[in-house]
Amino acid sequence: MGLTGKMGRANEERPAVLAPSPKRGDGRASGWTGPTYYGRPQLKPAPFNNWVVGGYIFLAGLSGSSSLLGHIAELVGGPESERLARRARKYALLAPTIGSALLIEDLHTPKRFYNMLRVAKLRSPMSIGTWILMTFSAGAFPAAVLHFLADHLKAFRWLRRPAQFVQAPATLAGAGLSVYTAALMSATSTPSWASAPQALSVRYGASSVASAASALMLGERSPKLRRTLATLTCGALVVEAAASAAQAAAHRAKGVEEASGGGWGRAETIFALGLGVLAPVALLGASLVAPRARRRVLHNAAALATIGGSAMLRIATLGVGDDSATRPEISLRFAQPANLP
Amino acid sequence: MNMHPRTQEFTASVLDGPMRDESELTAHVLVRPGKSYGFFTDTTVCIGCKACEVACKEWNNLPADDIGLTGDSYDNTGALSANTWRHVNFIERSGDGGVRDNDQTPFQSGWLMMSDVCKHCHNPPCLEACPTGALFKTEFDTVVVQQDVCNGCGYCVPACPFGVVDISKIDGKAHKCTLCYDRLKGGLEPACAKSCPTDSIQFGELEVLQEKASKRLDELHARGVETAYLYGVPGSPGATGDLGHLNAFFLLTDRPEVYNLPAAPTRASNRVAPALKAGLATMLGFALAAAVLLVSGRE
Ligand code: SF4
Repeated sequence: MGLTGKMGRANEERPAVLAPSPKRGDGRASGWTGPTYYGRPQLKPAPFNNWVVGGYIFLAGLSGSSSLLGHIAELVGGPESERLARRARKYALLAPTIGSALLIEDLHTPKRFYNMLRVAKLRSPMSIGTWILMTFSAGAFPAAVLHFLADHLKAFRWLRRPAQFVQAPATLAGAGLSVYTAALMSATSTPSWASAPQALSVRYGASSVASAASALMLGERSPKLRRTLATLTCGALVVEAAASAAQAAAHRAKGVEEASGGGWGRAETIFALGLGVLAPVALLGASLVAPRARRRVLHNAAALATIGGSAMLRIATLGVGDDSATRPEISLRFAQPANLP
Repeated sequence: MNMHPRTQEFTASVLDGPMRDESELTAHVLVRPGKSYGFFTDTTVCIGCKACEVACKEWNNLPADDIGLTGDSYDNTGALSANTWRHVNFIERSGDGGVRDNDQTPFQSGWLMMSDVCKHCHNPPCLEACPTGALFKTEFDTVVVQQDVCNGCGYCVPACPFGVVDISKIDGKAHKCTLCYDRLKGGLEPACAKSCPTDSIQFGELEVLQEKASKRLDELHARGVETAYLYGVPGSPGATGDLGHLNAFFLLTDRPEVYNLPAAPTRASNRVAPALKAGLATMLGFALAAAVLLVSGRE
């Protein structure tokens, strides 16, 4: 069972008191090279369905950032942004509806979902997130209804102002909705999530903005607004790429990068980075030099790639976390004193 | 062990009810709300009998996880789970010459056994993560999942730095050791500690246990077992940092990793604020950038 090899090293280096880590000399090494307990997991992976929870995180980001961008456009973008703001309000309804359904679906006792509302805890990002989603929904739903009335019935035109007002909490909560999921993941003991809280948060935030700007770009007819959204998408993707580089550096520094070597890690590279960042940046770059008639196609292709990549980013990082939690050489390495903040 | 004088009150073969404060007779401790209770697991006297595992399953009515052989020494339990709240680790230590190497330290003939359990952390990451308040601190300073509240979100599972708490496939709720909350309420010693034939698992008031443990440590050091240390007691080589003290702590004689324990576990909730701040700052940046782009794009 490879027992002697694994346990032997412990014996040989066994010290007077608690031994220093056998690899402290090159503490940057990946993985724990000391003893493990028959290679059994030292942690339990999150019992989430990665597709369901990843899907929610994606929708939360898309809805939250759409609401934020749409409201900003409404406030400062002038009359030509009106249609954009309307689309944003529709995207904002995705998280409260489909998103909430996905969250409840992933509970192991779904009929008790309302127990989430019994408490509010600042040390639990899942509790924080519950209340962010509640606030967001409380703004997004009435805003959508009031705007609908104002847009379609002449008698209700005056509702436009109050609608903007009720949407304000959704706009603010939208910022939280875009990033709290990263805090939720890093506030666990799962090594690849816990080892880079800030980088993961920036990465998720940037991906949320990129997916929202892309979704808004899809239906936009004004070439000028489309260019603005393309610039924003491109900027967000660059920030996302920088954050993933920072995250990878943190993973290396804390010895948990091997967790990205599995299937989920490859999926992250191919879909989140390749499809979700490199492809759209290339397409958007091409749209700058392409003939006018082609631009819209390139913009739309870039938008679709960004949206797909944004969803896969969430799903794949959940999977990489599971891999890191079930491999004791990674979790034991992560829990070395050298990694303490 | 010296018998408690109160045992004289219970000489009949058949009793007409449960003994009042039975823990006083079995563990020399009175269980009272408001005090801090825990386990001191002294691995140097563990004989690997698994009486604790059996007693726990019996009292808590827990089904078997997997009836089979793992091939990992005598450990056929494998790990703590929703249905297994005590788990005895078996470590066959040897030199590089083979499993039954003659070159053993003159101590436990190379065997390490340790009955693992929920640590009932002082700052429990599972409890902090719980979004329903199902996980709570009891009046005995232990950490328990309220089964009628838990909705099985599963967030406590990755939060625990020891891989203890687990979601049951049977009822979809989180389960783990309750430190026999029901027994404590009835004045009984937890089942595992009561069944332990070598007193490797000792139940008691935390302060008293820590004192006992430090005495035991001195004794072992004096006998030449220099590798002994306490895991989960502040100020010891096995201190668990921001988790604070562990109400269920251990006396170990090898590195924590050998027992599948983290050397420096962290308090997961300490990462909430840094992550949220970085994320919200990012969003603020993008909001400003979007505003600037939209304004400059206007005709
Ligand atoms: S050991 Fe794990 S399950 Fe037990 S109290 Fe600590 S965090 Fe919770």
